[in-house]
Amino acid sequence: MDEQALITDAQGGNLDAFNTLILHYQDSVFNAALRIMGDSDLAADASQEAFISAFKSIGSFRGGSFKGWLMRIVTNACYDELRRRKRRPTTPLEPETEDGEEMDSPRWLADPNMTPAQQSEADELEHAIQHCINNLPLEFKTVVVMTDLQGMDYAEVASAVRVPLGTIKSRLARARLRLRECLQGFEELLPAPYRLEDGMNA
Amino acid sequence: MNRRDIELLSTYLDGELKESDSAKLEARLKTDAQLVSVLNDLRATRTLLRKLPSRKAPRNFTLTRKMVGQNPPLPRTYPIFRFATMVATLLFFFSFGINSFRSQMSSQAVGIGIGGGNESLVQEAPAAEEPAAPAPAEPAVEEPELYADSPATETPLDAFSSQPADAVPTEDATRMMETPASKDGEPENLIEEEQVQVEQEAPRVISSAWQIGLAIVALTSALLMGLMRQVSARRWK
Repeated sequence: MDEQALITDAQGGNLDAFNTLILHYQDSVFNAALRIMGDSDLAADASQEAFISAFKSIGSFRGGSFKGWLMRIVTNACYDELRRRKRRPTTPLEPETEDGEEMDSPRWLADPNMTPAQQSEADELEHAIQHCINNLPLEFKTVVVMTDLQGMDYAEVASAVRVPLGTIKSRLARARLRLRECLQGFEELLPAPYRLEDGMNA
Repeated sequence: MNRRDIELLSTYLDGELKESDSAKLEARLKTDAQLVSVLNDLRATRTLLRKLPSRKAPRNFTLTRKMVGQNPPLPRTYPIFRFATMVATLLFFFSFGINSFRSQMSSQAVGIGIGGGNESLVQEAPAAEEPAAPAPAEPAVEEPELYADSPATETPLDAFSSQPADAVPTEDATRMMETPASKDGEPENLIEEEQVQVEQEAPRVISSAWQIGLAIVALTSALLMGLMRQVSARRWK
C-alpha cells in the first residue's frame, strides 16, 4: 500500500483512496477508541465519526505520521462523546449489588453468556486492565493507549496530543503508576510472571 | 521514591532517556534495590498493557459519498440553467409587481384628477353659468404631464383627460345646478365608475406575453436542472 499516494488522492477528494486507508487503520482506530471509551458500541460510533471527520479535514494533513494524525482525531471524537455523556448521564453499566452498591469487581464486564469455564484468566485479566484504564483521567488514558497499546513513540504521541514531550513522559509515568496501583487489587488474576512487587509502597 | 524517579524509570523503560541520563540511572539501579523493584513493577504493568488483545473492528468503517456529503458531479451547463431559472422567476414576480403598481398609480391619478375638478366645479357653478367651463380644465390639462414620460399616451386616462375642456364639466355643472338633490350622490358614482374603468383598462408595463415567456423559461430551466441531477446521480452510482 502506497500510503502517501493514497493520502494525496484522498486530499483530492478520492473517497475510494481514503476507504483503502480506512481498511488499513480501522482496527487500530477501533482499539484505541475501545480502550478509551471502554465500550464496544460507543467505540464503533466514535471510530466512524473519526473517519468521517478525518476525510473532511484531510486537506489539513501536512505530512508526518498519518496514524498519529488519525489517533488525534479518534481521541477527540472519544473526548466529545465522553463529554456529551457527562452532560447527559445515562444508567451506569456497572450492576449494583443487593445492597444497592456498585460491584467493585471487574467480573461485571464479563460476557454473561460465557460458562464459568470459558471465563478464563485471560479474559478476566483483560477486564481488570480495562477497568483500571477506565479509572484513569482522560489525558493519562490517551497517552497510555497511544504508547503502550498502539506502540507509538513519544514524539508521535506528543505530536498527536499536541503537548510537549516532557508532558508525555510525565503523564505516562503517572498513568503507569496509577495502573500498577489499581492492578494490585486484582493480583490474584495476574499471571505469576507479572505479579507486581511492592517496591513503590516502600 | 519521588515522581521524578518514577518518570525517569518509565522513560528509561521505553528507551527514550538520553544516554547520559540512562548511564546515571543504571549506576543507581546497581545500588538501589527499591529502584529496581519499581522498575520491575513498571515493566510488568507495561507488559500487561501490551498483552491486551487487539480487537477486530466490528464492522468496516468505510465511508459512502452520502456520509461525507459528496454530491454527484453536475454538468458544466448546470449553473447556467440555475441562473436562468433564478432570473426568470425573479422577473416573473417582478412583472406582476410592477403591473400592479402601475395600476394603483393610474387609479390614484384619476381619483385626484376627477375629484379635484368636480370640487371646484361645485363651488363655482352656482356663481357663474357661462364661465363654468375653464375651472375643471385645470386638472384635466395637468393629467398628460403625469404620464409625459410614459409611452402609453393614448390610454383611456389620457383620452379622458384630453377631452375638450368644456364638454364633461359643463354637463356636470348643468346637471348639478338642475338637480341640487343629486349633487352629492351622482358625481361620486360617476367617479367610481370611471376609476373602475380606468383600473380595468390600465396599461400593463410588462405584457402578458412576456410574463408567459418568463414562466416558460423558469419552468423549462427547472425541469432541465432536475433532469440533469437525475442523470448525474444515475451515472455516479
